Amino acid sequence: MSSTNEVEAWGVSSLRLAFPEKQEMFFKDLNFHYHKGEKILFLGPSGCGKSTLLQVLSGLIPKSVRLPMKAEAISIPESWGYIFQDPDTQFCMPYVDEEIAFVLENRKISTTKMPELIQKYLTMVGLDLADPHQLIHSLSGGMKQRLAIAGVLALEPEVLFLDEPTALLDPEGTEQLWQTVRKIGMNRTLIIVEHKISHIMNLVDRVVLFDNKGHIIADGPTSDIIRHHRRELDAYGIWHPDAWASYENRYSGDSMAKTAGKPILKLKNFSVFRDKTVKFSVPDLTIREGEWIAIIGENGAGKSTMIEGIMNLIRHRGSCHWFLKHPEKDAAFVFQNPEYQFVTDRVEEELAFSLVQEKMAHDQIASRVEQELVRYSLEAQRDQNPFQLSVGQKRRLSVASSLIDQPEAVILDEPTFGQDARNTFSLLDLFRKLVENGTAVIMVTHEMEIVRRFATRVLTIKQGRLIGDSRVADQNSGREGEPDGQLVEEHR
Amino acid sequence: MDNLWKNTDKLFFKVNPSLKFLCFALLFIVYLFVHNLNTIIWAAVAFTFLYTWAAGISNKISFWFFLTTFIVSFFSASAMILYGKGTHILFHWYLIQISEESLARGILLGLRTFVFGLISMLFASTTPPVPFFYSLMQQLKIPVRYAYGCLAAFRMLPIMAEELVHIRQAMKVRGLTRKKGFGAFYEQFKRYSLGMLVQSIRRAQRTAVAMEAKRFSMNSERTFYYQIGWSRSDLIFLLIVSVTVVSGFLLSRWIPLTPFSNVIDGY
Repeated sequence: MSSTNEVEAWGVSSLRLAFPEKQEMFFKDLNFHYHKGEKILFLGPSGCGKSTLLQVLSGLIPKSVRLPMKAEAISIPESWGYIFQDPDTQFCMPYVDEEIAFVLENRKISTTKMPELIQKYLTMVGLDLADPHQLIHSLSGGMKQRLAIAGVLALEPEVLFLDEPTALLDPEGTEQLWQTVRKIGMNRTLIIVEHKISHIMNLVDRVVLFDNKGHIIADGPTSDIIRHHRRELDAYGIWHPDAWASYENRYSGDSMAKTAGKPILKLKNFSVFRDKTVKFSVPDLTIREGEWIAIIGENGAGKSTMIEGIMNLIRHRGSCHWFLKHPEKDAAFVFQNPEYQFVTDRVEEELAFSLVQEKMAHDQIASRVEQELVRYSLEAQRDQNPFQLSVGQKRRLSVASSLIDQPEAVILDEPTFGQDARNTFSLLDLFRKLVENGTAVIMVTHEMEIVRRFATRVLTIKQGRLIGDSRVADQNSGREGEPDGQLVEEHR
Repeated sequence: MDNLWKNTDKLFFKVNPSLKFLCFALLFIVYLFVHNLNTIIWAAVAFTFLYTWAAGISNKISFWFFLTTFIVSFFSASAMILYGKGTHILFHWYLIQISEESLARGILLGLRTFVFGLISMLFASTTPPVPFFYSLMQQLKIPVRYAYGCLAAFRMLPIMAEELVHIRQAMKVRGLTRKKGFGAFYEQFKRYSLGMLVQSIRRAQRTAVAMEAKRFSMNSERTFYYQIGWSRSDLIFLLIVSVTVVSGFLLSRWIPLTPFSNVIDGY
């Protein structure tokens, strides 16, 4: 295959693969080939098998992940590296240098050469640590992902597989990660699975589009696919550059209630502690009914601290007064990770949980649960265990179960984080309805499109203080979110 | 948890971890066969001194450790003291019967627990996991899959601690903590363990795949980032530990504090 004038090529022919406990084959005679130097993006709805295919192409399936599979022919590159989604589970050593050394040990590099190589790989990914012997746990998510790349580079791979590497990163981390990939991917082959594509449109030259059954429905140059398959991209919830615009267009006639009602929460000389030090403080703040409040700020500015303090989850001082009859149940809180919130074993029971606690009548509970199952499109999942749901369903369930007893205020910690476009938009639909009905929606978010398009009031937090409180977001204050298609427009 | 080790310059940190491990394991066996109450008393004193001198963790943690070890020792002593057999009855009340013999045996048991606790803590407080497992692989030829498996597990601990905080907050928000009683406690316990278990299994599996993706192989030869070898510290360590142990035995002969030289046979 690797004769001098022929470009090296790899791939799989007639792939068939089955998941345990599922009747149908997942891939039916799938063919995919690529050659050296290509930069390829896999697109498709969640659960369409993009990551599975990536693992087949790298040989992780069936070698490390045992799934029954069959293929007429399969060729795997000699040296490859794989970057996973979750920054926390790719490492096995506690310190940065030890983690890269682990890879070098696997390659049987001699001990004396290691420190120099470790420094080299860290520099390549822009992790200039004064001392590489630093705890991985103390790094931010974005830094962890770049460390993962450094570890993979230590394998000196020809081909890099990236499986949604930015799904759990904030906008800043995402930006830096793609910059790194751009730099180190120059002379390498890249295959990327990703939902947020604005950052990488001019990095990839070939796009492969999957439908929800795992068939390849389009495969070609990036610009062609993006231009001719806009409808599929929307339907699959892919964050293409115009996703926000087309979502908003659907609601152009819809006007948001911009008038705020009675006060619902009043903070006075309020400060919140973490590890015995004040991490957030505000002299005076009033939140009213029907407000859609976005709390923005850099990582570690104190956003989560603020809302956790308001919800009485961590120690605070000063006055925090809810104008509610039962603040404990009329103010709901939705965590960033929905799984922490699940308290029962079935979707239905999960929804009914707070109603049962209030001792509502059985038939009333049943009808309310029914209603909510429909509203959040979870009817088909009613008997499932919450842990078995997909990412989007879990998020919807966590929101639904917090909102079922119709709270007057709801506080959400990055509710759209890691969600695809479709899930994000259906959540936004819901928040719009809540706000229209007079509920105060308070959310911490990094997504500046939400802030710009929907929030009625924006609180900016910096170093534990409220530095901005405005009705409209300041458009010039360094957008943190998706750069709104700028990259693509340049590309065209 | 890696901030646990405060002063890593101390001598015991420089000792070969495998040697330390085997040496302390041997001490366990030695003290298992000590039936002389005087010996164990002096051993407890000697190891307390050794611990205060050698341990590499902060005084605050040391204090809490001492307290817990003491309480555990007290409990293991109390059963023997209160219900043991003996002829010289000191106190009798229904089932409870304290005799001189049972008192001596109980104190021996309690102090033995205390000495074991001290020795384990002496090891834990001076041995970070990474050098320990590297040494196990290099000196004791432990298969690499166990060593790296354990190291990966150590990495999970701080993540799990954070997760516990989150789950507790979520339970509070959902109103699970508002209910009282045994049923509610059971329910909460179930949620905590289920949540942690699900996440841990998932994390373990992902980590395993990620390790294999980095060409970790269980069987083939590998090089080591840290070469754990032998040094003069090992000799000094052996000397110090021997002095501690021997001084315990000698002092019990020279200054016997109690008449119980063999608690099994009575006097």
